[in-house]
Amino acid sequence: MSPVIRRNGEEFTIPSKYLLSILTALCVVLMLITFNADKIDAGPLTGPINTFASIFMTPLQRGITTVGTKIKNTTDRLAEISRLLDENEKLKTKVDELTIENTRLQREKYDYIELKKLYEIDSSYENYKMVGATVIAKSQGKWYDSFTIDKGEDNGLKIDMNVLADGGLVGRIIEIGPDFAVVQTIISDDNNVTGTVMSLQKNLNVSGNLKEYDSGNISFSRLKADNVKMGDIVVTSKISEKYVPDILIGSISGIENEPDNTKRGTITPAVDFEHLNRVLVIVDPEPYKKK
Amino acid sequence: MSIRRIIINFILAILTFVLHTSVFCRVLDFGGVTPDLMLIFVTSVAFLRGEKPGLLSGFFGGFLIDIFSGKLGFYALIYMYIGFLVGKLNEVFYSQNIAIPITIISVSDFVYNFVLYVLLFLFRRRFDIGYYMMNTIIPSVVYTALVAIFYYPFILKIHERIFEKEQRSEKKFV
Repeated sequence: MSPVIRRNGEEFTIPSKYLLSILTALCVVLMLITFNADKIDAGPLTGPINTFASIFMTPLQRGITTVGTKIKNTTDRLAEISRLLDENEKLKTKVDELTIENTRLQREKYDYIELKKLYEIDSSYENYKMVGATVIAKSQGKWYDSFTIDKGEDNGLKIDMNVLADGGLVGRIIEIGPDFAVVQTIISDDNNVTGTVMSLQKNLNVSGNLKEYDSGNISFSRLKADNVKMGDIVVTSKISEKYVPDILIGSISGIENEPDNTKRGTITPAVDFEHLNRVLVIVDPEPYKKK
Repeated sequence: MSIRRIIINFILAILTFVLHTSVFCRVLDFGGVTPDLMLIFVTSVAFLRGEKPGLLSGFFGGFLIDIFSGKLGFYALIYMYIGFLVGKLNEVFYSQNIAIPITIISVSDFVYNFVLYVLLFLFRRRFDIGYYMMNTIIPSVVYTALVAIFYYPFILKIHERIFEKEQRSEKKFV
């Protein structure tokens, strides 16, 4: 670097106020495009950005997650030993009780299978095609709840595909790249699911709620049924556009009356959202989508 | 603006984001409360370097978060303004005492969370500000301040080294 070059290459600078307004305008334009993603095709915009993310971030996140979970598992294991010894004693007695109950249930299961054949009920997840994935990162801050998994378009995933864990609904994919996907959970405050009370076949609206979040519940509203009971099972409804029907959401754990003759309350989800590590993505059937 | 500084800050931002989402949000969270590592990074850079680097690192850091939230531009805008405003303080305060940057980080985290509450929750008719204040904003600010005590000196060290190297190379060529 000779002094001559230095003089010629006098640094070209933009005053920070102009830079601020230029970038503000850029952000606003980007927001307008991506918030209306249904109407405007943002594909050419998000494509390269997502590729960038999967080159720089996903490998790092994957590595750190592997190390992190290993360390956490080791410490957890040490802390759990004494608790497990106590629990073991209790469980042994429980096993005896359950063996007796199991034989009884086995007999009832045969009855059930016969009945199922009779009615040709086919609502379990057995014949859904699913892809397993690992959670590699969680969302920023406490306000919303979403997480990143390590499978993406390359594994055949698409936006809006449903995600399961522990046999219950976790959420759906809202953002996707070549080898990552972002899943918005049903406990996220800005999320709504149309559900059905299994026993009554009545629809309700299930929405995440940050205030219920600490007690591990999600809230429901707009249920038009009088004889709803605590513990009733709620599944995704057939009229939902974004969710595959008949997936378990959870059980009702609180009921309140609303002035307009509907009910609201809380649901305990079937999934343990605190300890999500492995999830399943339903590849087939895809959720019904109105166009 | 040397190219070295840009590259190091680029790597720092990515490291911060990965550390945040993979470690703090998954392993070291207390009931969903996580420290805002990206905010510590942006505020530190702005405080140490002034408004333009603060603004740029805020934009880039926020953009990383945007990529993974699916809505581009939202966090980038908020972080950019925080970086810009904190950068203005660079001329006012002398940054030797650690208490000042930690206070600034705490205040900006409070402002950041409050803005998020207004934009994301108040506009959707969630009016119970007391609840959100006690259960989300305040814990987050406290945790962020706690982590900042360790994370700010780390960023300070790196920036001091860049500064030294730049001065040395400048002396060589003058």
